[in-house]
Amino acid sequence: MNRLRVLKLGWEFPPLINGGLGIACLGLSQALSKHVDLRVIVPRAAPDAGFEGFELTGLNNLRVEDLQTVEGKYRYESFAQIDRVPIHLDPYDSDETTVERVRMEPGGEIRFSQTTRNQLEQFKMGELYGADLATKVIEFSKIAAKLALQTDFDVVHAHDWMTFLAGVEVKKATGKPLVLHVHASQYDRAGVDARGWIYDLEKYGMEQADIVIPVSRYTGQICSGHYGIDPAKIRPVHNGAEPVEVFSTKKKFPEKLVLFLGRLTAQKGPEFFLEIASKVLEQNKNVRFVMAGTGERLKPLIESGAFRGLGGYFHFTGFLNKEKVNELLSMTDIYCMPSVSEPFGLSALEAAQFGIPAVISKQSGVAEVLKGALKADFWDVDLMAKHIIDLLTDDELRARVVEQAALDMAAATWDAAAETVVEIYRELVP
Amino acid sequence: MPDVCLYFQVHQPNRLIPYDFFRIGEHAFYEDDGLNGEILSKVAEKCYLPANALFQKAIKQSRGRFRMALSISGTVIEQMEHHRPDVLKSFQDLVATGNVELLAETYYHSLAILHSKKEFERQVERHLDKLEDVFQIRPRVFRDTELIYNNAIAAQAETMGFDGILGEGVPWVLNGQSPNYLYRAPQVSQLKTLLRNVGLSDDLGFRFSDKTWNEWPLTPEKFAGWLKNAPGDVVNLFMDYETIGEHQWKDTGIFEFWEKLPDAVLDEDIKWVTPSEVVDLFRASKEYDCHWPTSWADAERDLSAWTGNVMQQEAIAKIHKLEEEVLAARDPDLTHAWAKMQTSDHFYWMSTKGGTDGSVHQYFSPYDSAYDAYIYFMNALADLQIRLKRIREAKADAGEPAV
Repeated sequence: MNRLRVLKLGWEFPPLINGGLGIACLGLSQALSKHVDLRVIVPRAAPDAGFEGFELTGLNNLRVEDLQTVEGKYRYESFAQIDRVPIHLDPYDSDETTVERVRMEPGGEIRFSQTTRNQLEQFKMGELYGADLATKVIEFSKIAAKLALQTDFDVVHAHDWMTFLAGVEVKKATGKPLVLHVHASQYDRAGVDARGWIYDLEKYGMEQADIVIPVSRYTGQICSGHYGIDPAKIRPVHNGAEPVEVFSTKKKFPEKLVLFLGRLTAQKGPEFFLEIASKVLEQNKNVRFVMAGTGERLKPLIESGAFRGLGGYFHFTGFLNKEKVNELLSMTDIYCMPSVSEPFGLSALEAAQFGIPAVISKQSGVAEVLKGALKADFWDVDLMAKHIIDLLTDDELRARVVEQAALDMAAATWDAAAETVVEIYRELVP
Repeated sequence: MPDVCLYFQVHQPNRLIPYDFFRIGEHAFYEDDGLNGEILSKVAEKCYLPANALFQKAIKQSRGRFRMALSISGTVIEQMEHHRPDVLKSFQDLVATGNVELLAETYYHSLAILHSKKEFERQVERHLDKLEDVFQIRPRVFRDTELIYNNAIAAQAETMGFDGILGEGVPWVLNGQSPNYLYRAPQVSQLKTLLRNVGLSDDLGFRFSDKTWNEWPLTPEKFAGWLKNAPGDVVNLFMDYETIGEHQWKDTGIFEFWEKLPDAVLDEDIKWVTPSEVVDLFRASKEYDCHWPTSWADAERDLSAWTGNVMQQEAIAKIHKLEEEVLAARDPDLTHAWAKMQTSDHFYWMSTKGGTDGSVHQYFSPYDSAYDAYIYFMNALADLQIRLKRIREAKADAGEPAV
């Protein structure tokens, strides 16, 4: 069997990362590169970022001349009908705010064929998720299609909605099969009613794809149920977790510590965490709750905590860097993740590496991995509180949960994920 | 023609460090000593020292006819002892003239009266002791933090032996009457109430430098003319000392104004009197029936500057809830640390009000937001709770009975 050649499209990539997407793309790429020839294209790569085993191309490092050989060979048909693009400027914001206009050339015809220096320049400047996100997404797809025409590969694999359009364009330009990887959907970010350009792009991309890989069965159900994608082409693959250096810190206070870690946005369920804390503290004062992270819900959460009289037992840390997060994990007794919708939930795995038992919502992908974790529906704060109290008071239960998590962790590797992904490629490229 | 009674408030709080979660349980010193010393020094250079010199001179030049009152909180006296003994000396010299009366207040500039009579009395006693110690003076007139006042507080002040109390002349309680008379609270027999003349006080405290004010620029002569034409027995001008040079900066001409005002007033044959002189000079024939606590803060003139939102309400309730346990620990340092957290400014910084009042709250805050003020305060409070728990457990181990 020939070694497969894979063209991967990503958005953020270490060390230039914003969230979990970049980390997952790197983890999977490194593991895949043991099995396939891999080229990764991203809008921006650190100039000196060299990775062993695969080739990383950042459009920020590209010159116009590099595309010369394929100029004029592809007409970008997906864009022919577009004359305006309504877009969420912030993927975590549910309000549609701005309408971006694509520039019209005299005569009313939109010209896409020639990549200009300006189009490449934009990948060197500004935020990856800035106000010009829509333009970047569109330009990325045009240039990715051209790069694909210069590359020999068997399958294209795109990660999350920013690259879905590019994936479709590459498929159209080359006829190669398209695999889309869904790390998070607009459903997870903005709720069940989220509609708009991003939703449309996700739906369009998944419809055009040959295989859709959600990061969990839970997310797979969203792909089929919420986006109407044929379940027959959905193949969930769980993320792996990089081993972290685990240490333990002695707490400076006598109480147990229950941790919430994540963006303080409605979908992460921080309000439920407050309610859970309130219920636990009614019964057990020998515990402190920490909410680590920041987000648009921070201020109302602080006020809500004060209203519930949790101050002194419920602590807000604001944003923490990785070092502080690990310090916090090293003294945490229970990890609580009451997400309203969590495609995967890598943080629960990281907590598990620290030997912390988890209480997590059933609406999360990681619930499928951590078989022994105590689970409840995100809204079932009574059951969540009961789980926490049980873990606080029942050492045997605690030991069981931690033990099972260690077994589950051993199986949750990027190598395991990569092997499944290669099998999926093989289905498409026999 | 009324007399004029001038009183300035001198106070600085002990601001807390950004006390984050990771300090809880191991960092037992909550205050930002460096910042507190720095701000004290800044205010001293801009206000306390030049203003003390100015009034020292006014007393001398008027041959004692200029008189005024100061209320100096226990926390600012401590800060001066610690950081700037020279500034304290300058206050001592001023008081030693005999023309500057001192008022009693809560040592910690707190809202204790609203939560615990026992703690309130403890703090007033402590302040009296401190004044005795530092200035060899025992005040006859009381004022509560930020002029917080109602019938019950007046009655409490009388019970504690004071002859007079200061309050805000709140228009909707005065109900058309002039603040320029002495008043009597219901259910007190002797104690007299001096009410702040809001309009004339705020002309000096707030409007003085406002160029859009139609009376700008205000001259000492013009202001003395207003005093002369005011009705009643006494015009009470109450404000923060820091209005001279700190809230109203030097370049507004505030120092020139105050240099000339003592003489300008005397030239109109108006007398400067102190609060205890007012109490001796005039009868309190009218009743001032104030049920709800009022204050001189914010447009509401109520307690909303410190208790207006849930963060403030929780913080203040929880710090006072520790009273019994703190006092039972019989640890003077711990008690002192706890009591300093009762200083009203901590709650003032947690205010989420907007508008003009909101910007005043923010101007005085050492933190980025009301939420930060709340978080740091509650984390420090959590640490205090842990210290109390440890003391409790140590006592239990030593076989002492639980309290």
